[in-house]
Amino acid sequence: MTALLTVENLKVDFATRTGVVEAVRGVSFNLGKERLGIVGESGSGKSQTGRAIMGLTPPNARISADRLNFAGIELLDIPARERRDLRGKRIAMILQDPKYSLNPVMTIGQQIVETLRAHERIGRAEARERALSMLEAVQIRDAGRVFGLHPHEVSGGMGQRAMIAMMLIAGPELLIADEPTSALDVTVQLDILRILDRLVEDRGMGLIFISHDLGLVSSFCNRVIVMYAGKVVEELPASELANAEHPYTRGLLNCVPRIGEDRHPLPVLDRKPEWAL
Amino acid sequence: MSAALTVDGLRVVYDLHHALKGVSLTVEQGESYGLVGESGSGKSTLLRAIAGLAPVASGEIVVDGERLGHRRDKAFYRKVQMVFQDPYGSLHPRHTVDRLLLEPLAVHGFADIEQRIVRALDEVGLGSGFRFRYSHQLSGGQRQRVAIARALILEPSILLLDEPTSALDASVQAEVLNLLEQVRGDRNLTFLMVSHDLAIVTHMCARLTVMQNGEEVERLSAGDLAAHRVTRDYTRNLLRASAGFAREA
Repeated sequence: MTALLTVENLKVDFATRTGVVEAVRGVSFNLGKERLGIVGESGSGKSQTGRAIMGLTPPNARISADRLNFAGIELLDIPARERRDLRGKRIAMILQDPKYSLNPVMTIGQQIVETLRAHERIGRAEARERALSMLEAVQIRDAGRVFGLHPHEVSGGMGQRAMIAMMLIAGPELLIADEPTSALDVTVQLDILRILDRLVEDRGMGLIFISHDLGLVSSFCNRVIVMYAGKVVEELPASELANAEHPYTRGLLNCVPRIGEDRHPLPVLDRKPEWAL
Repeated sequence: MSAALTVDGLRVVYDLHHALKGVSLTVEQGESYGLVGESGSGKSTLLRAIAGLAPVASGEIVVDGERLGHRRDKAFYRKVQMVFQDPYGSLHPRHTVDRLLLEPLAVHGFADIEQRIVRALDEVGLGSGFRFRYSHQLSGGQRQRVAIARALILEPSILLLDEPTSALDASVQAEVLNLLEQVRGDRNLTFLMVSHDLAIVTHMCARLTVMQNGEEVERLSAGDLAAHRVTRDYTRNLLRASAGFAREA
């Protein structure tokens, strides 16, 4: 398998008033045309890892890596302009909550057309056509109507479909999805995952799926990376999750209540300081 | 057993929007009862209506045999307390934990304030080291413990829990759920708990109502749900969805 993305020893530090916060502390992994899940709790550095690859790390952060290679390009060595060309065109990112991540004063259609025209020289009419067919591809039935709606006029599930349409319209090779379904109801969540599943499959993209939900990620991805305190504590095939070795991974799996199980009290995580070393 | 809380034909209308369309339920003394549904199902509205935070259009709410009017008196709030979903939004940002816990005691004219605050913090596993901190100096789980302490400090008999763990990490969620179960056992509390998560509700509650669009879908026992003895398609869908993602062949 040729690697689409190679990450070696990625570090992200934030300088704050109270000292340096090391959000990501030496993360390494390879990604081909597959689905990789990154799982961890809040503060584990999973989102900052995704943002660093996308190039969305805040300016007050210091980022370093031995390698951060996307399709032969060293992302940290190229000028900002080239990085900008990649972003949206070849690497795209889906964020958690469509309520906050869509532009509230543009219609959904305008936003999708804008993405497309930022990356391709294409006429208005053709862009509109492509946007409409993309909306249909994310299973929005009445694409023509939704095209003209503002984000506040649609439901969360619809907004997230629009976001997926926007991110996939330029045909990226790598898609980073940061908690794409956490703000949605469970039944809607499955619809969105099914759409994402099919599109990733059909278009042969690499996918990084960032989530706090270990069970969900393992049912969706091929491989799972478990992060704790800015480091990878365990990497394993999704099918092997039940045989996870690291106590943190096992603890995370065990502490969730499951239907049909009678465990009172629930086992809790006994965090060992050495996990964070 | 007598009913701690009875709701009969409750309707809540916001302007023209019918948020609750006639919901009834009975919670026995010492029972833990669950309300499950997706956003917009009216589950939180039902809790808020009981607490007096939503406009009741018709129907009645009876607590300990007393029918509630439009205004709730002090005695009601000593008996019924609520824990909200978002521990970041439900604690006053410029009050210390001490002040947060003091306020309900002062309102209700308690005398032994000092001991009660110390005991309340102890009970939720925080210890007195947290007493003079501000809420922004606490983690999400610690904040939710403060919110629980604030609810328990008046020694209520009924606790209304609105998604008490949905803003928390899984490991912290387990700790808070364990804490809630423990205080319920210690004090023989009655819980009415709202969640979108079927697994949490079956873990915490013996009986539950599934809601959708402001109406009851069905009433089940936790055992029925666990054994998939459900009668309605909506509940079946919820069950399937909460089992996780499955690729269609």
